[in-house]
Amino acid sequence: MAVVSAPRAVRAPSSTPPRSPAPRRGRAAAARRRAGMLMVAPAFLHALIWIGIPVIAAFVLSFTSYDVLTQPRFIGVQNYLDAFGDPVFRRGMLNTLVYAFFTVPVAMAIALLIALMLDTQLRARALFRTAVFIPQVTATIAVALVWLWIYDPRSGLLNAGLSFFGLPAQNWLSSTTWAMPSVITVGIWQGIGLKMLIYLAALQSLPKDVYEAASVDGASRTRQFFSLTLPLLRPATFFVFVTSVISAFQAFDLIYILTDGGPANTTTMMTYEIYKSAFREFRVGYACAQSIVLFVFLLVLTLANRRLNGGDSGRH
Amino acid sequence: MELSRRSFLAAMGLGTATVMAGCATTSGSGAPVADVTGPAEGDITFLCALFEGATGKETLEGNLLKQFKEKYPDVNVTVDYTDYASLNEKITTGLASGLMPDVVTLGVGWIPPFAFKNAIAPLPESLATRYTYEDRVLEPSRFDGTLYALPMVLDTRIVAYRKDFFEEAGIDGPPKDWAELREIAKQLTVRDADGTLQRAGFDPFSIDLRQCWETFLFGNSGELFSADGREVLFDSPEGVAALQLFLDMVADGSADFSLTTEAGQPTTLQQGTSAIMMTNNSLYVQLQQQNPELIDKIGTFVLGNTGPAMLQGGTMISQSASSKNPAAARALVEFLGSPDAVLVAAEQRGSVPAISDLLDSDYVQGNPMVAFALENLDKARSEGGTPAWMEIREKIKPTLETAIVGQQTAQQAIAQLAGIADDAIARL
Repeated sequence: MAVVSAPRAVRAPSSTPPRSPAPRRGRAAAARRRAGMLMVAPAFLHALIWIGIPVIAAFVLSFTSYDVLTQPRFIGVQNYLDAFGDPVFRRGMLNTLVYAFFTVPVAMAIALLIALMLDTQLRARALFRTAVFIPQVTATIAVALVWLWIYDPRSGLLNAGLSFFGLPAQNWLSSTTWAMPSVITVGIWQGIGLKMLIYLAALQSLPKDVYEAASVDGASRTRQFFSLTLPLLRPATFFVFVTSVISAFQAFDLIYILTDGGPANTTTMMTYEIYKSAFREFRVGYACAQSIVLFVFLLVLTLANRRLNGGDSGRH
Repeated sequence: MELSRRSFLAAMGLGTATVMAGCATTSGSGAPVADVTGPAEGDITFLCALFEGATGKETLEGNLLKQFKEKYPDVNVTVDYTDYASLNEKITTGLASGLMPDVVTLGVGWIPPFAFKNAIAPLPESLATRYTYEDRVLEPSRFDGTLYALPMVLDTRIVAYRKDFFEEAGIDGPPKDWAELREIAKQLTVRDADGTLQRAGFDPFSIDLRQCWETFLFGNSGELFSADGREVLFDSPEGVAALQLFLDMVADGSADFSLTTEAGQPTTLQQGTSAIMMTNNSLYVQLQQQNPELIDKIGTFVLGNTGPAMLQGGTMISQSASSKNPAAARALVEFLGSPDAVLVAAEQRGSVPAISDLLDSDYVQGNPMVAFALENLDKARSEGGTPAWMEIREKIKPTLETAIVGQQTAQQAIAQLAGIADDAIARL
């Protein structure tokens, strides 16, 4: 009996907790929480000071007339009405959408193609990977300057190539027809490297046994690509898409160097208009409202994509 | 969750720069006029859009500021060099952060906006009479009749032409009005067998379209704004006709919007791809460096339709209203506005010195285009004239371009621009 009763006594609730392990676990958990909070604190403080406060300030200032030189004056939603009534900002919104529409999917497709090629046992593949990635780590200003020379109507490489084939020279950056495609081309070229790298990493982590099973079942390489590779790459695709859209919507330095938004506003973007409003025209309140519009654009696009693609959960 | 936060943070990052400006303390509104009764001493900063490059720095710090230091030993000057493209942004961020430089270079047209907001300090009228200035040179330095800046160097927009092309075509001399300009330009335009343009009769697009249109507006007796800067006057038949002239010449085939050159490259006139062009007086320095053999083949004239007009840009020196050492800042402004400093600055960048007394200097006499500009300063006109100019100036070029590329008529483009300018003025 004594043998039987002893375990009961152990399992029974005790009124003397200091000897039980539960509080020790609680203290350990609390210590872990404190340690975690301490480790997160620098990043949190950084985000609060350098992102949180400016974000709130931007939102508040977007309802004011503020020109840096005088005190902000509350004007309600006038800045937002001005933004949507401004044909140049509307043009900037349209151009940004067009730029994103062409640069994101096209660059993603090319990046995936290159990643698939570089995922094979290609000779000197490290060299190719580096070559594809170099534009990503080169300063955009330098990239833009190089492309300025390439696009130069008189001495540029592109028109020299056209001339070789007997084709007429074009004014790539001063023509309303060609300026936007020219900027998009540079944007695609510059953005491929990082996308390729993410896709390559994702490809190399795909489970090999699934492909072996598919081969045993007689699935062709094409069938394997569409039925296995693409679905398995969904988390990577979602990540690449979201970061690419954000990057496309932030396009600024290329425009600044290549076209200055011209000719006739055909290449101006939302970010460029924000910059001009704030730093060239002294309309900081208006620029804040334009920034909020851009933020809402990005938020809607990201949420819509998350809904459509099932997010980054990697459901297969 | 991770991606939503990422997109949120990234999007918000876009507005950070502008917001940081918004968080800062303002320095302009209601700022008291600088007290300069104390001794010139202390540390001051100078935001400088002149003296570019290593030679410019040596000229300023190794020469001019050494002289200044000898005269004012208790003043220490720190120079922040910039270019014109970034000058506006530098001033904006300086104002927003409460770190407005004590002394700053400003462009023509910039005085009314900064003076209106009390960002720069008034200067004593005596500074306007200590040397000889053309009235039109001093005009952009004033706001509401008060002097706010001293002009240092001018960059004039003139018309240059190839004398050899004129002689080949049997043309006696420069055109006297727009009708003659169009005829001569058509006559001098050269196309090859398949119609490709080899030489444009006239190149109005190698300088900024805003400045080019303004020159023609003034040459057609038009005005940008009313005297008080509160009314738009460029939406007049004169303003529309000035823009229409470019459209007509493009339609004639004697001008081509795509016929431009990058900064530093030989101009279309030097390349022989245009016979007449709107240019800057610094062309002479460019010719000396790139095509000295062309110097004798290039002539200049001041064109107008109902009257001759030459656009006058330039760089002025002004004092911040929020300077903590106003006496030192004033001393530097006065020093940099003196003939010795003005001449060195002009020579360093091939510009026209703003002081008429310097017409006889070796530099001016050795540079025919600078001498030409200085002799014609009575025909000079300046842009600006309204406190809303910083906003309006940004809109002029892209709006005019919409007409040049055929997206709307000259009348529509000018009307759109007038609407933008009206809105900007209404917000003052």
